Amino acid sequence: MSPNSPRKSSYELSRRDLLRWSWAGLVGGATLPWLEAMAADAAPVRKRSCILLWMNGGPSQMETFDLKPGHANGGSYHEIATSVPGIKISEHLPKVATLAQHMAIIRSMSTKEGDHGRATYLLRNGYLPQPPVRYPTLGSLVAKELGDPRAELPSFVSISPFRNFNPAAFSPGFLGSQFAPLFVGEARAQNNNDNEDSYDLTVADLHAPHEVTDETVGARLGLLSSLNDRFIGAHAGAPAIGYKTAYDRAVVLMRSEAAKAFDLDEELSAVRDAYGRNRFGQGCLLARRLVERSVPFVEVTLGGVNNIGWDTHTNNFEGVKTLSEMLDPAWATLMTELKSRGLLDSTLIVWMGEFGRTPKINANQGRDHYPNAWSTVLAGGGIRGGQVVGRTSADGTTVEERPVSVPDLLATVCRALGIDPMKQNVSNVGRPIRVVDPAAKSIEEIVG
Amino acid sequence: MSIRQFRPGRALVGQAPFAVLAFGGCLCAIELLQVLGPIQGFGLLPSVHAETAPCSPATSAEERLFDVEQLTSYIDQALAAAWQRDRIEPAAPADNAEFLRRIYLDVVGKIPSVAELQLFLADSSNDKRRRVVDDLLRRGAHAQHFANTWRGLMLAGAAENIEARIGTPQFETWLRLRFAINTPYDRLVTELLTAPVETAPPANVAARNRNFVPSPAAFFQANEQKPEQIAASTTRIFLGVQVQCAQCHDHPFSHWTRREFWSMAAFFDQPQSQPGAPSKQAVSGSPNAILIPQTQIVVEPAFLDGSQPDWASGSAKRELLSRWITRTDNPYFARAAVNRLWDHFLGRGFVHPVDDLDKANPPSHPELLDEMARQFALHHFDLNYLIRAITGTRAYQLSSRSATVGEDDLAKFARLPLRRMTADQLFASIVQATGFREDRRAAQRGVVLPDMTSAAAEFRNRFADQSVPRTEAETSILQALALMNGKLVSDATDLAKSETLVAVAEAPFLSTEDRVESLFMAALSRKPAPEEMSQFVEYVTRGRADQNPKKALADVFWALLNSAEFALNH
Repeated sequence: MSPNSPRKSSYELSRRDLLRWSWAGLVGGATLPWLEAMAADAAPVRKRSCILLWMNGGPSQMETFDLKPGHANGGSYHEIATSVPGIKISEHLPKVATLAQHMAIIRSMSTKEGDHGRATYLLRNGYLPQPPVRYPTLGSLVAKELGDPRAELPSFVSISPFRNFNPAAFSPGFLGSQFAPLFVGEARAQNNNDNEDSYDLTVADLHAPHEVTDETVGARLGLLSSLNDRFIGAHAGAPAIGYKTAYDRAVVLMRSEAAKAFDLDEELSAVRDAYGRNRFGQGCLLARRLVERSVPFVEVTLGGVNNIGWDTHTNNFEGVKTLSEMLDPAWATLMTELKSRGLLDSTLIVWMGEFGRTPKINANQGRDHYPNAWSTVLAGGGIRGGQVVGRTSADGTTVEERPVSVPDLLATVCRALGIDPMKQNVSNVGRPIRVVDPAAKSIEEIVG
Repeated sequence: MSIRQFRPGRALVGQAPFAVLAFGGCLCAIELLQVLGPIQGFGLLPSVHAETAPCSPATSAEERLFDVEQLTSYIDQALAAAWQRDRIEPAAPADNAEFLRRIYLDVVGKIPSVAELQLFLADSSNDKRRRVVDDLLRRGAHAQHFANTWRGLMLAGAAENIEARIGTPQFETWLRLRFAINTPYDRLVTELLTAPVETAPPANVAARNRNFVPSPAAFFQANEQKPEQIAASTTRIFLGVQVQCAQCHDHPFSHWTRREFWSMAAFFDQPQSQPGAPSKQAVSGSPNAILIPQTQIVVEPAFLDGSQPDWASGSAKRELLSRWITRTDNPYFARAAVNRLWDHFLGRGFVHPVDDLDKANPPSHPELLDEMARQFALHHFDLNYLIRAITGTRAYQLSSRSATVGEDDLAKFARLPLRRMTADQLFASIVQATGFREDRRAAQRGVVLPDMTSAAAEFRNRFADQSVPRTEAETSILQALALMNGKLVSDATDLAKSETLVAVAEAPFLSTEDRVESLFMAALSRKPAPEEMSQFVEYVTRGRADQNPKKALADVFWALLNSAEFALNH
């Protein structure tokens, strides 16, 4: 598949056209005839989307997808059967277990970073930090390849992120701000007193302050448009074009019907309940609404609250149970709803954190950081499900079969999305850098 | 390549000639170095315009010390000759208002106040452009902006390292104090490279604030205190040598080896230990040697040109290294600094990208870069000397107006490029334009990290843009939304809250024209053009359905603050 050529040309077309469309034309009326015109001639082929379920803190493989019952390292959890004979997972993921036919469980992740900040960067950006190179985060890379610059919604939405471990792991890096994530639910996620029950997932500053009427907004945009026409007409250059493009798109978003995606009150109460009335659950519901509107990359963080999340150095078994009870209904409902809407085949779901946990249980009934042998899951679109990749030893400490590196995993994500992982982008240090580290070997047996 | 080609000046008398620099213009990724062992080699650094050297016999002219005006006119002549040769028509000169806004953004890091603008426009003397720069530098008005800029450069890895983020305020303050008194650049770099490094700074914000000592230690934390990372950052930032180039095999090779790289890194082994204390990786009998990780190879510290440190002097490792780096006859040290400052003001270096002084990436004006580097060294690395000379050039004072984007114009400095502001510049400019005052309590409400919830921090967060250079990258939707609907601009355009707006709207002695002009000057640092004046006066008097002229002025201010002209340095 060669996804780049048609997309590239449509991007160029739109850039040229955006230059031509005047501010007045954009902001003058309530309807946007050019958008409809563009929509009409848009290719009917549906592009793939990706939902990353980001498990902040490093989830325990031993209590999720690679249990070791009967072994001293195994802990107190029981295994349960899944919809696929022979594949067993944690008893606290019963709903997810019914969807195993869509999942490839990778039990042989083997990485080398045990520090939250560096590992978060490695998993999310695909390379170890190497200043001054600004590697982009996965969502920005995907947004660049699969995003439609004509779309009303941004191509990358990051829901309730926790950026303190490593802000650069949430950055578009050298790809630039036009591929930056739209963050929602972040301010509250950083509040230490917050809990998972509050979930304001709306877009910050999407609307003018309430005392500013729509009419005033229109008048102001009219003044702005004449100022910008005059200035940009006399000052050619990328920063001016970039500035105008961002404003055009922000105004489109402010006025768009698509922004209603963020209004979860449109959903039936029963549906909201099914996802779980917590930040992650509602975030997954929002992810479904965004993917329905063709947003190519959405990520939802679980475990960003109270700085703890999956980082279960103490009381691992209680902590993971609590998190699993949020994860299970949200993830399962997300996949079920995508399936019933015919979207699961075109939506890749990635479940991962920055590393796993030590097989040996520590003195505080906890598990510590462990990058040597751990698990991730790929599910849905582009993935041949019902499979387990790799195997760890009986005590869980080593990978015995098919070790998978971070580049291998991310190259597989790219392949499932129809992106060439070896495509090069021009970096901030002036040399091309591939989407994924060239050492990567994708896990071809699970790419569907 | 020999030292004569660099034509050392008076300052070098008595120093040994700088040996051939045999290190690569591009090193491989450290991991690759570890895995591959000695690599065939890497691109040599560019020779110092070897092609012209034979025609430049060592004459007394080379001893000539240019004063600021002389260096400025040397630059002007060199660029003009290149324009003529390439048949490029340079842009028109920037007018006074355009110049003042630009010089304030580049030197002070924010737009000028209305009072400063009026004073400057009313001044009829011929040398006012030079005087305004001299005055700003004398007052140290550039210290904060330069500290912000160099903090971003020197702590490139800080975002990825929590200790470095914690140490950032101390680092920034340390830099600010140095720039304020115009510390010579070699002195500043020496202080940085030889700074004492704490093993573990207190993580507790309150404890840190009690013992707030300005310090450059965060440089080492941003490099995780790893010798190979510190060495890589040091050579990149201060010598313009890229060492993290994972695809170096695409470059012509020279004989840079893993051993040479680790000889350099050995200077930074155990940076937190006391001088003379045995190193963790030390080898018996060789207290300064380092073991290359995952090998049995032991290397002694050595400079990149292969020369040996003078251990007999009794100086510590990092002291010896910084002495070597900052030597006046090290051409790369001065060239890298000149190139960076030129890029700071002109939006592009003679060498572009700015950090990559590789042979494969030659300067656009090699002789000019060398002469500027030479003069910089002869002036004992006086940064303000260089700033004054650069800001006085015709190239810096050209207009940014152009209906077309010519890449060639920009590479030849025939027009000033548009540049996006940094988050710091934009925030400071909004504050300047609107009279916004931060609630100090809000500014100190940091819980996890200092300064996470203040308006400035939130703004920095939203506008932090990691893509460089600033002449290329773009604006995000969230940034546009923040400027249109966010609290900072909303308050600034609220008649109940905005200092500037209230002053302009309420002053009884002003005509509508005066009010519109004041808002233009506050936000755009210029008077409105006649057609703008009539359009905006018309809007203020009759534009709104409610016929409320004060609210109409708020709308005008909103539009000005959201305009591309406000947000870009032009």
